[in-house]
Amino acid sequence: MIEVAGLKKSFGEVTALRNVSFTASDAKVTGLLGHNGAGKSTSLRILYGLVQPDLGFAKIDGTNVSEDRVLAQSKLGVLPDGQGLYQRLTPREHMRYFGRLHGLTEDIIEARTTELIHLLDMAAIADRRTQGFSQGERMKVCLARALVHNPKHIVLDEPTNGLDVMTTRKVRELIAELRMQGLCVLFSSHLMYEVSKLCDEIVIMAEGRVAVQGTPAEILESAKERTLEDAFVTLSERVVLS
Amino acid sequence: MNILRAVMTKELLDGVRDKRALMSAFLFPFLAPLFIYGLMTLVIEQNTKSERVTLPVIGAEYAPTLIERFVENGFIIETFEGDAEAAVTAKTVDLVLEIPSDYQSTMAHFEKTELTVIHDGSRNDTRATVRQVRSLIQDYSSELTALRLISRGVSPKLVRGVQTRNGDIASDEQKAANFLSFVPIYVLMAAFVCGLGLAIDQTAGERERRSLEPLLINPVQRLDLIFGKCLAASIVGTAGMLITLGMCLGAMLLLPIDELGIRFSLQWDQVFWLVIAILPIPFLASSLQLLLGLFAKSFKDAQSYVGFLVFIPVIPSLLMNFLPFATQFWMYWIPVFGQSILMKEILGAEPVTVLAYPAAALPTLLLGLGVCWATSRLLNQERVIQS
Repeated sequence: MIEVAGLKKSFGEVTALRNVSFTASDAKVTGLLGHNGAGKSTSLRILYGLVQPDLGFAKIDGTNVSEDRVLAQSKLGVLPDGQGLYQRLTPREHMRYFGRLHGLTEDIIEARTTELIHLLDMAAIADRRTQGFSQGERMKVCLARALVHNPKHIVLDEPTNGLDVMTTRKVRELIAELRMQGLCVLFSSHLMYEVSKLCDEIVIMAEGRVAVQGTPAEILESAKERTLEDAFVTLSERVVLS
Repeated sequence: MNILRAVMTKELLDGVRDKRALMSAFLFPFLAPLFIYGLMTLVIEQNTKSERVTLPVIGAEYAPTLIERFVENGFIIETFEGDAEAAVTAKTVDLVLEIPSDYQSTMAHFEKTELTVIHDGSRNDTRATVRQVRSLIQDYSSELTALRLISRGVSPKLVRGVQTRNGDIASDEQKAANFLSFVPIYVLMAAFVCGLGLAIDQTAGERERRSLEPLLINPVQRLDLIFGKCLAASIVGTAGMLITLGMCLGAMLLLPIDELGIRFSLQWDQVFWLVIAILPIPFLASSLQLLLGLFAKSFKDAQSYVGFLVFIPVIPSLLMNFLPFATQFWMYWIPVFGQSILMKEILGAEPVTVLAYPAAALPTLLLGLGVCWATSRLLNQERVIQS
């Protein structure tokens, strides 16, 4: 369970978040939907402990990120905005490094690595250095290292951004699979159809505020629109005008 | 501890696999001592030119006894004709001795006799020869004066006036250490040069390839991350520094510096203490490089200004050369400076108090720790991630 309440954050003159509150429940996929610059990435960064909020809090399973960053981070698997890899390390070595940083024993790392290589279908590339990997292959490595410690909460920042059709499909399948396993999945996107297809809950953000949170049906209801896209536009505009 | 080891192992693996960066980092330890060896050999050769020197002379026939003296001292006399200055300018000859045609007559009348040594004072390679020719003429003149006085019944002692006696208190080893003052500079520089690439790659590089954000999401203390990175870079820096030390000491032992009248000998315990003295330096070097690396916008940006740190070890040695001072104990406390003094003293086989080692090491290590701490604080700041 991820809980975010009353987040406020400014970077110098720029106010990134005015008031952001939402929750993401276990065994559900929650989508954070908003324009570029709506505050999605900043909210997520606060959530995974890279940015300190000016006001408000983010809790992972009851652990306040600002108070105990390390404990909160240990419960999270994150696919952040920055998806850089170490070019001279293999995917297996990436998983080993991140596993060790999570304090896992070598046995567990070994077992988990084998599992993820299978799950993400990356046996062919597991022992090749990541230099020259395709976009899709890189994404798999990023996902693998985010999942190596078997987290109960997954946060993905625009996971399908810049991916080809096949990889996008894979990522969506993985998200569905993770929900099946009872995980709490939170991901951000600016793609309407992606969110509508995958999510149990949708959080619409605009101008550093949450416009609405609810199931797709509830959102249509509150916006009095027939399609989610229309609802998104209406609700976003409502925030801008207010 | 495990986290620290995990970070260090990964960074070392990553660093060692970067063959090109590693090669360029270790060019310094191997090339610098070779370069120095070549340069020093030249210097020694020029200062001790012992092979027979050819001396072009104008008017050799006017002063046969003087010429004979030159020949006795190993000069080959060559008659020179033409424009002496032009020939020296054109570097066809090193110098020309001009004996005036009135040499005999001025001698006979006890008048002033002037010989001219035509040479180019801006040339380093002929300086020794010119000095040799001058002092030979000087000696000849003194003897002549003495004989003239004796023939008049005057003791030559009367005209000796004030004389100096050579009371040099420096030991041969100290002179050698002074002559070889480049060793501390190069060895300490190597600590800064060799770990540089890895330190930048771990900070500016990590940010540039956007892997810093995923790294910081891991549940670890930032200080552990920085320590791990710093240790990885210092291990590479230490390796480079020790190679440089070995190469420099080897070059010193091979150099024929005893021809300069100074002596350099090396005992194993000196090597041991040298290593002990300089061991804290790479840690400090890497910590500073990590800090600056995080401030940099990009890898290239970092390379250009983190590189300036390399000149830190040059400062103490310059000070020691141009502002001579007696070592005070507090000087050991100053990072890098203390190590430079220690190296100079150990190389010069001077007695060094054992306390000087911790006195030099502690502030250096503490400063390194402080810089690491500051760097880890910097990782908490949002702008580090948002490139």
